[in-house]
Amino acid sequence: MKKSLYEYAIAKSKASRRTFLKGAAGAGAVAAMSGGLSSVASSAFASSDLRSAILKIPGVGVGSPGDADWQKVGEMCLGGTKERVKEGEFNGVEISFLGLDSLNLHNMLHRGFLKPWEKYTGAKIKWIDLAQADYNARLQQSIATGTVDFDIVQSGAPYEGDLCGKGLTSEMPGWVADQIDLADYVGYLQAPTGTWDGKTYRISIDGDCHNFNYRTDYFENEDLAKAWKDEGHSGNWEVPTTWQKVTEVSKFLKGKKHAGFPAYGYLDVQKGWGGFGFYFLGSIATAYAKHPDSPAFLFEPDTMKPMVNNPAWVRAIQDVLDRRDCQPPDQINADPGVTGFSQFLAGTGSMVSWWGDVGSNANTSDESLVQGNVGFDILPGSDDVYNWKTGKWETLSSGPNYAPNMAYIGWGLYCMKTVDMDTTKRKAAWSACAHIGGKDLSLWMSMYPSGFQPYRNSHFNIDEWVGAGYTNAFASDYLASEADSYNHPNAAIEPRIPGIFQYYSIAEDELSKIYAGEYDAQTGADNIAAAWDKITDQIGRENQIKLYKASLGL
Amino acid sequence: MTKPTSIERDPLYVVAPPIVTDKTKRFGHIIVWGTFTLMFLLAIIQFLNTNEHITFGFKTWRPVLYAYILWACAIGYSRVLIYGEKGKRTLFVFPAVMFILSIVIFPMLFGLYISFTDWNLSSIDGREFNGLDNFYQMISDPYYWNALKNMIYYVLAVLVEFAIAFLLALLLNSQIRGRKFFRIAFLIPLMLSPVAVSWMVGKSMLEQRFGPVANLGRFLGWETPTFFSSPEIARLTMMCMDAWTFIPLMIIMLLAGLQALPKEVLEAAKVDGANKWTMFKNIIFPIMLPVSLTTLVIRIIFKLKLADIIIIVTAGGPGGATDSVTSFIVREYRDRSNVGYGTLLSFVYLILIIIFMTILIRFVNRWLQRAA
Repeated sequence: MKKSLYEYAIAKSKASRRTFLKGAAGAGAVAAMSGGLSSVASSAFASSDLRSAILKIPGVGVGSPGDADWQKVGEMCLGGTKERVKEGEFNGVEISFLGLDSLNLHNMLHRGFLKPWEKYTGAKIKWIDLAQADYNARLQQSIATGTVDFDIVQSGAPYEGDLCGKGLTSEMPGWVADQIDLADYVGYLQAPTGTWDGKTYRISIDGDCHNFNYRTDYFENEDLAKAWKDEGHSGNWEVPTTWQKVTEVSKFLKGKKHAGFPAYGYLDVQKGWGGFGFYFLGSIATAYAKHPDSPAFLFEPDTMKPMVNNPAWVRAIQDVLDRRDCQPPDQINADPGVTGFSQFLAGTGSMVSWWGDVGSNANTSDESLVQGNVGFDILPGSDDVYNWKTGKWETLSSGPNYAPNMAYIGWGLYCMKTVDMDTTKRKAAWSACAHIGGKDLSLWMSMYPSGFQPYRNSHFNIDEWVGAGYTNAFASDYLASEADSYNHPNAAIEPRIPGIFQYYSIAEDELSKIYAGEYDAQTGADNIAAAWDKITDQIGRENQIKLYKASLGL
Repeated sequence: MTKPTSIERDPLYVVAPPIVTDKTKRFGHIIVWGTFTLMFLLAIIQFLNTNEHITFGFKTWRPVLYAYILWACAIGYSRVLIYGEKGKRTLFVFPAVMFILSIVIFPMLFGLYISFTDWNLSSIDGREFNGLDNFYQMISDPYYWNALKNMIYYVLAVLVEFAIAFLLALLLNSQIRGRKFFRIAFLIPLMLSPVAVSWMVGKSMLEQRFGPVANLGRFLGWETPTFFSSPEIARLTMMCMDAWTFIPLMIIMLLAGLQALPKEVLEAAKVDGANKWTMFKNIIFPIMLPVSLTTLVIRIIFKLKLADIIIIVTAGGPGGATDSVTSFIVREYRDRSNVGYGTLLSFVYLILIIIFMTILIRFVNRWLQRAA
């Protein structure tokens, strides 16, 4: 959506940006408005030739795209670059790019997208690929030892405290903001995300949150529906919307069969992943711990006292323990990546929390065996929520408490300060980032396996998804789960404080012991809290409090 | 008869006539102290600049490093200027000494200093000396003690590996069909990188759903063949994977020992009517004792460094059951950026290894002397 149109829509509906987007994908929201506006909006949303052309590469349902496809898409999306950069303008410039090679995505795609850009501009990219589990350590070491040997880094907003807070990043030039259309980002990716002390440093290429992915065929299975009734469960056999129900469904499915194979309920991630595994507990805990009256759910804002051992988090841990017997064998040693892709997408389990790429892979990845059988929703809620201020559980008059987990807040591209010393290099680095973070190219990434998910208002145009080959039902369902998570008024937004992954990492070690049955949930949670306090003291409590409060908008 | 000159006496030994004079000696001292002063001054300036006591300085410590290299070269040159021929002889050893000093001793001392600091990479304040705090933290760290306990299990498993390796070495030493093929085939696991072993065996062959080993388990009646779910089985699986990789190394060493056995002794025993077991018990095993003990010691050294397959396959889980000291230290460094504490753990582990190996080697020597 164009910025002017968006502003017009806000003014016309007298709504805040959040209200405007709340509860529906952007297209749906526009359609719900006045006739005059909707006609303007629909023309704005009409798929341009370029957008519809790139979305047919290779086409949904014809297998995973490869390097040739990425290059083709990159070539077709060079328009923004050509408007601002002359051919061969960056001849002789070399830029190093640090990113991930997880699941053969991320940097693998960037290489393809940037090949035509390199050819046109004359610049050369040197690639530094890291595995997900090695990412945090490599970045922290570079920051702490002042050995920043890369010009561009693909990083997450949680690292902004480390990167931007220490003055290591280059401020985004105005022309880049124009090229990528910053105003098109969904609400929670707008400032302060990507900014530090009022300056913008980030080009978003992803919008992370965990959503709830489930197998529709499980919940349409009549035998299971009958068994559910026969066993005296309350309510219909349907997709659970609270964690209490998720546990009930998981226990119900234990020992049963679906389509001739053992049936499993919710797949709990129990293994560490260099800190990233903690998000999966967070996705359960936020429903219990994130009270609508407070943005805090990890630490108490005035003291940085950990909340991880309060009754809400302990209940989340206990949920995982209660579902241990309902998991596929060896689940305790299943890497999170295995759970999302090798299990759920390969047909094992009926429910999983994951970033948006389970959805974008369900119909486009060669690994997926569940095409047409996946549904989406925001993360389940809880019948009651813990109020950390009063220390009591509360039942909200509005119904269950939902608090979608904005896990990692999304990947972005940051140029390092090192490029500022050379005007041409600076322009080249920002141009490369702007190419990847461009509006059209990002649409393609949100639809195909890339490691990234929709993050712009313009990504939520269902017609474009249908044009690419998705069914209307799938696109509506998937996009609504994403948009409703991003724009949820009680979304749990991760704090952008230094060392956040250290907290997660030590928590993973303790959780591993709890899940292995070495301690009960409360003892383990107390251990995590003690370790978190130690980390806070080591990093500097006063500074952490200051940054934490700032990140919560307090 | 004229007295031969030193060159005539030993032309290969004396390379050049002595050229040392008071002037060269003085020059030698000047270049050593001059370059040392330069290096010292640069280091002081850089130290003060890094700690923000002065505003001028270099961007990095690289100039100090260059001054150090210059100083090292000056020392080398000065040996010749001051001591002449004798100094040239020193030059044969000098590079090695400087290399060890630079690459081993200096980093060790620096590491020792780091281990007494509170250094979290995310800390705004950077590195701070904290005395023995890291040591006290280690004393009360259940993860470290758990990892040490696991190391005892892992080291004890070497005895089983040794028994298997000895058996296989005896087989490969006998006149079996396809002996050459088996000798090469047994070596393959050793040639594989532990990372490849972790993925190929740990994550593929032992995979619960489609792994061939799991399928075999199911075929044999094991309902849910899982190799990493319970602490004991997970630890045992890690031991087996590590053994699979390193038993070939033990086989090579033992096979070399077996092939060097004195044939006449074995033949004499056969003539005397000794059966195979008697020959093994009374002749082969005692003669092989030095080789066996060396094999065990080397294998234990490898075992104490066990980390890669654990990090990749189980990440130390479930519940720390497979954690080794090294894999725990890696997590402390890599995931938690806790450099000071991680370094102390490494040093303590190094000291423990040195103590353990010293005792073990003494014990082995004493045993060997008694056996002799």
